[in-house]
Amino acid sequence: MTPFASGAPVGDPQPVASTMHMGITNHPRDHLHRSADCQSAVSPAGSRQRFASARPAQCVVHLPSGRRTPEPGSVTRSQLPRNNHPTTLGIPFRLALLLAFLSLAPIPVLRAQTLLFTNGIIHTASHGTMTNGILLVSSNRITGVYDPARGEAPPALPADTTTIDLKGAQLYPGLIAVDSALGLTEVEAIRASQDLNEVGDFTPDVESWIAVNPDSELLPVTRANGITYFEPVPQGKIVAGQSALMSMDGWTWEQMLVKRPVALHLFWPEFGLDTTPKEKLADPAKATSLADQDKERRRRVAAIQNFFDDARAYARARSSAHPPTLVPAWEGMLPALRGEVPVVIHAGELRQIKSAVNWSLTNHLQMVLAGGMDAWRVARLLATNHIPVIYEQVFTQPVRDTEPLDVHYTAPEVLRQAGVTVIFSTGGSAFEAAMARNLPYHAAQAIAFGYPEEEALKGLTLYPAQCLGVADRLGTLEPGRDATFFICNGSIFDLQTSVQRLWIAGHEINLSSRHTRLYEKYQNRPRLGVGHH
Amino acid sequence: MTSFNRPWRLVSLLQGSLTFLCTLGIAQADELRPPGFRPLPPGIHALVGGNVVVRPGETITNGTLLLRDGYIQAVGANIAIPDDARVWDMHSNTIYAGFIESDFVPGNARAPVNTDDIEPVSHASLTAGGYRFFGTTTENNAAAKSSPGAFWPGFTPEYRAARTYSPTTKNVAGLRELGFTAALVVPGRGIFQGTSAFVQLSDGDPNDAILRPDVFQHIAFDTHDNDDATFPGSLMGVIAAVRQTFFDTQYYLANHADYQQHPTGRPRPEYNPALEALTPAAQRQMPVLFEPGSVLMDDRAARIAGELRLNFALLASGQEWRRPDLARHTGATFIVPVNFPTLPQMPDEDDWTQVTLEPLRAWDWAPENPAVLRQQGLDIALTTRGLADPKDFRPNLRLALDRGLSETDALAALTTVPARLCGVDQVLGTLEPGRIANLTVVTGGSYFDPAAKVTAVWVDGRNFPLPPEGEKPPAASTAQSDSPTNQVAVGASTNSRTNTIAGKTDENKKSDADKLRDAQKIRVAHSPLEGRGAITNPPAVLVRHAIIWTEGPQGILTNADLLASGGKIIAVGPHLSDIPANAFILDAAGGTLTPGIIDCHSHSDILGLVNESTLPSSAMVRIRDVVNSESPNLRRQLAGGVTMVNLLHGSANPIGGQNCVIKLRDGDGPDDLIYPHAPQGIKFALGENVKQSNWGEKFVTRFPQTRMGVQTFDNNRFTAARQYLAAWDHYRRNGGLAPRRDLELEAIGEIINGTRLIHCHGYRQDELLMLTRLMQSFGVRIATFQHGLEAYKIADELAAAGIGVSTFSDWWAYKFEVYDAIPYNGSLLHDHGVTVTFNSDSSELARTLYLEAAKAVKYGGTPPAEAFKFVSLNAARQLHIDQFTGSLEPGKDADFVLWSQAPLASTTICQQTWIDGRQYFDRALDAARTLRLQPEYDALLAKAKKIAKLSGGGGGDGGGDHGKSFFTVSLEHQYDNVDRDCLDQQNHQGGAQ
Repeated sequence: MTPFASGAPVGDPQPVASTMHMGITNHPRDHLHRSADCQSAVSPAGSRQRFASARPAQCVVHLPSGRRTPEPGSVTRSQLPRNNHPTTLGIPFRLALLLAFLSLAPIPVLRAQTLLFTNGIIHTASHGTMTNGILLVSSNRITGVYDPARGEAPPALPADTTTIDLKGAQLYPGLIAVDSALGLTEVEAIRASQDLNEVGDFTPDVESWIAVNPDSELLPVTRANGITYFEPVPQGKIVAGQSALMSMDGWTWEQMLVKRPVALHLFWPEFGLDTTPKEKLADPAKATSLADQDKERRRRVAAIQNFFDDARAYARARSSAHPPTLVPAWEGMLPALRGEVPVVIHAGELRQIKSAVNWSLTNHLQMVLAGGMDAWRVARLLATNHIPVIYEQVFTQPVRDTEPLDVHYTAPEVLRQAGVTVIFSTGGSAFEAAMARNLPYHAAQAIAFGYPEEEALKGLTLYPAQCLGVADRLGTLEPGRDATFFICNGSIFDLQTSVQRLWIAGHEINLSSRHTRLYEKYQNRPRLGVGHH
Repeated sequence: MTSFNRPWRLVSLLQGSLTFLCTLGIAQADELRPPGFRPLPPGIHALVGGNVVVRPGETITNGTLLLRDGYIQAVGANIAIPDDARVWDMHSNTIYAGFIESDFVPGNARAPVNTDDIEPVSHASLTAGGYRFFGTTTENNAAAKSSPGAFWPGFTPEYRAARTYSPTTKNVAGLRELGFTAALVVPGRGIFQGTSAFVQLSDGDPNDAILRPDVFQHIAFDTHDNDDATFPGSLMGVIAAVRQTFFDTQYYLANHADYQQHPTGRPRPEYNPALEALTPAAQRQMPVLFEPGSVLMDDRAARIAGELRLNFALLASGQEWRRPDLARHTGATFIVPVNFPTLPQMPDEDDWTQVTLEPLRAWDWAPENPAVLRQQGLDIALTTRGLADPKDFRPNLRLALDRGLSETDALAALTTVPARLCGVDQVLGTLEPGRIANLTVVTGGSYFDPAAKVTAVWVDGRNFPLPPEGEKPPAASTAQSDSPTNQVAVGASTNSRTNTIAGKTDENKKSDADKLRDAQKIRVAHSPLEGRGAITNPPAVLVRHAIIWTEGPQGILTNADLLASGGKIIAVGPHLSDIPANAFILDAAGGTLTPGIIDCHSHSDILGLVNESTLPSSAMVRIRDVVNSESPNLRRQLAGGVTMVNLLHGSANPIGGQNCVIKLRDGDGPDDLIYPHAPQGIKFALGENVKQSNWGEKFVTRFPQTRMGVQTFDNNRFTAARQYLAAWDHYRRNGGLAPRRDLELEAIGEIINGTRLIHCHGYRQDELLMLTRLMQSFGVRIATFQHGLEAYKIADELAAAGIGVSTFSDWWAYKFEVYDAIPYNGSLLHDHGVTVTFNSDSSELARTLYLEAAKAVKYGGTPPAEAFKFVSLNAARQLHIDQFTGSLEPGKDADFVLWSQAPLASTTICQQTWIDGRQYFDRALDAARTLRLQPEYDALLAKAKKIAKLSGGGGGDGGGDHGKSFFTVSLEHQYDNVDRDCLDQQNHQGGAQ
C-alpha cells in the first residue's frame, strides 16, 4: 500500500530526508542563522550536507579513529558514546547482564564490528516475516537480510564477526512513538516538569526538540519495550509548533535528533457545541447561543486560513527581489508550506475532522490526521485524499450510545479496509507519555478485533517512518537501514512478551530503567521475619 | 403502600375545623364596606345550564350549581333557583371543581430540582471545598450562622411558605388563567426547604387565602443550589445529611424531654428552630414531599422514607419512564410536571451528529411520563412547575393525553388527587354540596379540548373573569372582559366570537398544528430497559469441553465441564455426569472458561460526584445510596468479563465514604445489584489528594495539608469514635438518655468493631506504614491499600500485617508520589505473600482488566494462573467474599466468563459473561443490539427534524431560561463518556470529546 498520494514525497529517497543527519541547511532555521547571526555555526556542516543530499543512506560520517568529535549541528548517531553490552552469546551474556543489574556497575563499552543474527523469527516490516531468518549488521547499518528457506545466505563475513543465535526468539525493527509528550514531561501533576503547552494560538516557530530532556526517566522505561524513536509534539492551541523525530539514545537532544522538523502541528478548533443549558452555567450571562457558537467556530477556521495565507505571502516575498524583514514565526511555516513536512492536524470529532480535511484540500497541504476518534466514520474521505491517520483512540469507550462496544477496537480495521494508512499512537498527553511503553498493546487490541498483525507492525514502524520522511533510514529491516531493532521472547503484541536486547543504530542499549533499578533495589531489601504478629 | 390512601389523623382534625372556619370567614364577607370601596359582590350565585363535572367521571349535563357564601349549596339537574341568586348562564360551558396547582413557587419560575443538574465532572466540581473545618458533623461553628438554625446552608425546615405568601404575586393571576383556583405554595429552595402552604388563589387578604399552612415538609436532593464549599457537596452527601438531620431531630426531642425532667446539673440543650420544625415530619404528623430529581432517586427517597418511617409523596423528575418498575415500587403519589424538552435548532446539519440516542429518547418519552406513572397504578397530581412559560401547560397536557393519559385521570390529577394529597379533600376537589366553591369554567365540553377557553375561575364563591386565552384580544373584547357585568354572557357569545377569530387567522396554521399533533402522538423511542437483563436464565447450565482456569485448587483443566444450578457451581471437572435434564448446554470447545473478573476499585456506576470533598471525614456518606444501575458501564464491563465491582468513594479526604460491592446484573434496580455477602467497607485516602496538593493554590486551608496531619486527623476521628462507642456502651448498660446518633462516628466505630473494612488509597511507603501502625494501635487491620504503588518497598510489613494491595499494573509518573511506582509492584508483593489485585479505577481500563493481569507475567514473572487471580480470586479475598465467589469451585456463585483464547492472551476476546448461572453478555447478541439501536436513532432523528419543521424551527437552543432543556443530561447518564476515577487522573478522561 502506498500511504501517500502523488505529490507526497515519502517512501523514496529524498533530499529532504537526508537533513536529519547532517544538515541543517534545509531547515528554515538555517536560513535564519545565515541571514542573522549564526554564519560560523553553519559552515562546517554545509559541505557534508551536499554529500548527504546525494546519497542519504550513506550520510553517516566515518571518521578514521574510534573517537569522534561531534560538531555543532551535525548529528551522527554513530558518534555517540553509549553503554554498550558485550555482544556475547546467550547465557553468558544474560549472566553478565544480571551481574550488571545486581552491581549497578557501568557496563563495559565495547563496539561491535559485524553482527550476524541467526535462527530468529525476523519481522522485516517491509518484506514480511521470516521464521528462520538471518540479519547481518555492520557497524550501525543493516547490511543484509536473508531467508535460508529461499536459499539466501550471507556473503563471506569478516573474521571478527559476532554471531548471535536467536534460538527462535523474535526480532523486530525498533518501534516509533509518534505524537508523544515524551521528553517534554516528567511528572504530570508537577507543573515545573511540564514543557508541553505554550501560550498563543499561532506559534509555528516553537520547536519541541530543543526542550527534550535526555535524562527523563520516562525514556528508558519506554525504550525497554522496544520503542526506539519518538516524536515530541508541542501541545499548543492552534498552530502549536514543529516536532522532530528523536532517537531513544544520546547524551544531548542534539545527539538524539534524527530529523528536524518532521511536522508542523495544527490543533483544529473544537467543533462540538456547548449545549449546557443556560441556567446551569456558572455565569448564565455568558451563555452563547448555538448560532453564535457556530459563528465562532467558523471564525476560528477563517483565522487559520488567514494565518496560512499570510504565511504564503511571506514565503513568496522571501524568494522575491525584495525579501521581507525576517519573521521567525513565518519562517517556521516554510517547511510545511513547501511540502517538506506534513501538517499534522489533531482532530477527533467528526465535524472537526471533516472541516480539517476540507481545509487541507483547499490549501493543498500534506495532511496527516492525529487523534482520529471518529475517523472511521469518514474512512472513505480520508482514503480518497490519501490522508494517513495517527490513531490514538483504541482504548476509548464508545462516545455515542448507538456505537458498538468495540467501535474503537475495530476502527483501525475500518480505516485500513477503506484504504487509509493507519499509524498507532498512545497520544500526546503527559499521562500517556508515562504509558507510552504500551504502544504495541494498542495495536494488539486492534489485532484482537481483526487487524492484520503485519499491518499493525507497519503501523508502528514503516508507516510512521514514511509519514515523517525517514523511511529511507529506519522503520524496516532492510539493507541500508539503521541497525535499530530488538529481540524478544514472543510476539511484541503479546503482553507477556519481554524485550531482551535492543540496538539503536548498531549500538546495544542497556535496558535498565528507573523501574528495574527500584525493582532490584527492593528485591534485595533484607527480608523481615515474615509471620503475623 | 406508603402514600396517602388515608389522611393522617392530624389532618382530619384540621379539615373539620377548616370547614368551620371557612364558613365563618365568608359570612363576614357580607359586611357593609365603607363608601369609596367597591361594594362586595353578592354571595349567592346560580350557575345554570352548563355541564357540571361533579368529580372525575361523573358529569351532569345541563346542570345547576348553587353557591352560597363561598361554598357549594347544591348541585344537580333540577335545582330550584333562589330569588336572591345572581344567575349565570352556563350553556355550552363546562364547570369543574376548581383546579389545584400542586407545586407552586410564587414569583419564581424556578425549575424543580433535578438531580440531573449536577454539573458535569470537572476539576472545579471535584475539588470544590474551600471549606471550614469542623471535624465532626455535630460541632457548631458559631461564626457560620448569624441566627439560630441548622448548621448547614440549605437546611431551613423552619421556613414556612405561609409566612410570606402574597396573593398579589404576579404569577398568581397566570395560574387562574390556566384554570387553577388553589395551589400548594412550596418554598422552592434548599435541601430541607421548609413547609408548604395550601392557598386559595384569590386576590384579597393573605390571611383569607391560606387554607392550610404547613402541609408538607419539603426535602430536595439538591446539590446544585448549595454553596459549593460546604457540606453536602455531593448527592450521597445530601442523602447522608437527610438521614443525620432526622436523627438529630429525634435526639433533640429526647434531649429536651430529658431536660424538662432533669433541668439541673446537666448540660443545657441548645435551642434549634430547624430541628423543632422537623418534629412533625419526624413523628409522621406531617408528610414529606421529596424532590428526588431522577427515577433512581425516587427509589432512594422512598427507601429513606421507609427507613425513617416518614409519610411522603414525590415530585416526579419527568423521567420515571426510564424505570417504571422502580417508580411503581415507591407506591407514592407523584406530583408530575409537564415541562417537556423542546427541540433545539442546530446550526448545521452535521451538528445533529452531536445528538445521541439518549436525549432523543428523553425528548420522545417525556410526554408519556404521566401516563407511564398511571399505568403503574400510581396516583398523580399535575403541576406547572418547571415550565418556562406557564401557557405551555395546556398544550403539553394535551400532548400527555395524546400519549395515553386519560382525561379522567388528568382531571383527577388537577382536582381530587391534589386535594387528597394536601389534606383538603373534604373541602375541595369535587363539586359536592358543602364544599368550598372553587370552580373552573371552560367553553365547550372539555378543558382538554385545545379549542376550549378558560373563561372564569371561582375561588371561595367569588368569580374571577378571565381574558380570552391565546392571542391578544381586540380592544372591544378587552372592554368586554374588563366589565364584570358583561360576564353573564361570557359563555356563549364571547367564545363563539373568539373561535371565529381564531378560525380565520389560523386557517393555514391549523392544519400544521394538527400535523404536529399527529406527529407527536406516536412514540418512536424504545424503553432503555429493552435488551437488558439476563439473556438466558436456565434452571441449570452445563459448560462442556472448555479449558477451565478454575483459579481454585483444581488449577487449569483442559477439556473439562462446569455444571451450575440455582446460581451456584455444582461441579467442575472432566466429563461430568448427573446432568439435570433441563440443563442448558453450552459447548465451549476451543474456548477458555475463567471466573468472572472482580474490579476492586471502580467509580463507574455512581450517581453524582464520587467525592464528598467538603469535609475531611465523610464516613457518613454511602455509595450504596447512589448506585447507578442505568450506567452503560455495566454492559461495557460485562463485555470485558467483569462480573463484580467494588464501587468506592473518591480520595479527596482522609476518611472517605462507605463503599458498595455490586454484581453487574444489568437491568436490576440499584439495590438489587448490591452483593449481600460483601462486608461493609469504607474508603480512606492518604497523600497528595487528601493534602489537596494538586488542587491549586487556593486550597491551602483545609486540614490536613501534610502527611503529618493525615495521621493527626485519623487519630482524632478514631479517638472520637472510641468515645462514641463508649457512650453507647454506657447507655446500653445504664440506660438514661440515648446518645446522639452520629453517622460519621458510627461508621468509624464499625471499623473499630471489625465490621467495616478499610480500603485505603495511598501511594508512598511512609504513609502506608503510618496507617498500618495507626490502625493497629486501634486494633484494626486494614483490608486493602488501594493503588499502593510503593507497597513493594514494605512488602514484608504488609504481609505481616495481613493487608492486601490493590494496585495498577503499570501506571506511574502522573504525580510526584507515584514517581517510584514500578510495574513489578504486583509480582514482588505476590512473591512476598501479599494478596495482590490489579484494579481499574477507570471505566475504560475496567474493560480490559484481563490484559492488566497479563502484565504481572511480563513484569516479575508471576505464573499466568496466579496472575489471573489478581483480577479474580484475590479480589474476592480482599473484599472478604472468597468463600462465595472468585474462583470456579463447587458451592461458589456461578459467575464465569468464556474467552476465545487464554484469558491473558493479548488477542483474546470475551465471548460470554454469566452471573449467578444466568447469561448477561453475549458478543453476538450485542452486535445485534447495535443494529437495532441505529434504526431507532434514525427514526427519532427523522421525527425530531419533522417536528422541528412543523413547529417553526424548534426551540432555539433547546430550552428556555427555566424550561427543561433538550440537552439536559439525565443524572443516570451524566458520566456515560467520562472515565471516572478518584481524582488521580483529571486529564485522563478517555474519549469524552
